[in-house]
Amino acid sequence: MISLTSYAFVSMILFSIGVIGVIARRNIFVIYMSIELMLNGVNLFLVTFARYHFNMDPQIVTIMVISIAAAEAAIFLSVIILLYRSKKSLDTDIFTTLTQGEKS
Amino acid sequence: MMSDLIFIALSLFAIAGGVMMLVYKNPMYAALGLLVSILAVAGLFALLNATFLFMVQIIVYAGAIMTLILFLLMFLNIKEENLPKEPKKFMLIGIGAVIMIPFNVVILKAVSNLPNANMNIVEGTFGDIKPIGQLLYNDWILAFELVSILLLVALVGSIVLAKRKKMNKENS
Repeated sequence: MISLTSYAFVSMILFSIGVIGVIARRNIFVIYMSIELMLNGVNLFLVTFARYHFNMDPQIVTIMVISIAAAEAAIFLSVIILLYRSKKSLDTDIFTTLTQGEKS
Repeated sequence: MMSDLIFIALSLFAIAGGVMMLVYKNPMYAALGLLVSILAVAGLFALLNATFLFMVQIIVYAGAIMTLILFLLMFLNIKEENLPKEPKKFMLIGIGAVIMIPFNVVILKAVSNLPNANMNIVEGTFGDIKPIGQLLYNDWILAFELVSILLLVALVGSIVLAKRKKMNKENS
């Protein structure tokens, strides 16, 4: 029998994996993907409660979150391209010094 | 029951994809793990009667965002020596898990105290395109317009970021 708690469990696990990815990994691509996974966990939570209360407003909020994630993808990935071109690395520790490429 | 088995399989796929994203060193494998996880979450949306969101999740996440990430990973042509070394990765994953477990326990405790309701698939128009569209264009019209402005700003911003390198060369 699937209950509310099992859906909440799955979405909390997804959110936690996202947080752990942001904490533990240093590859900036994986950090971006962890943020996407956190957004997915929150979306699943919202849709679960939409079904629970039989109300469609959380699904609209989920559509908003998905479109914000799409906007975030455009900006984040273009920033990653700029950083990779100037530093030739994906390490977040190298990006702490954000000077121009040749001077560093 | 059939939907229970589907739920268990989809949640296992979602969590396994997330863990795959967490532990693989190569970002290509991590992106494929995230793709598996996103598709499983789309299936869970379908189990929760959100048919329109099921389609949006597959089209926008799996179709647009993941394609963009995979395209960029191939476009940048990342070598093995350009990847960051992560010697303390598993220790940090353990620390993160220790931080997140109490948080999860609190949320699950709160959710399990709620009265139980029927979560099965129902007949009818709940979550279809037409009621969602009516809700979106009547009650949520301001949020909809703000999101459209946000998408326009993101479009302009990514063009400016991609062009900045050329302008710097002309100036210097």
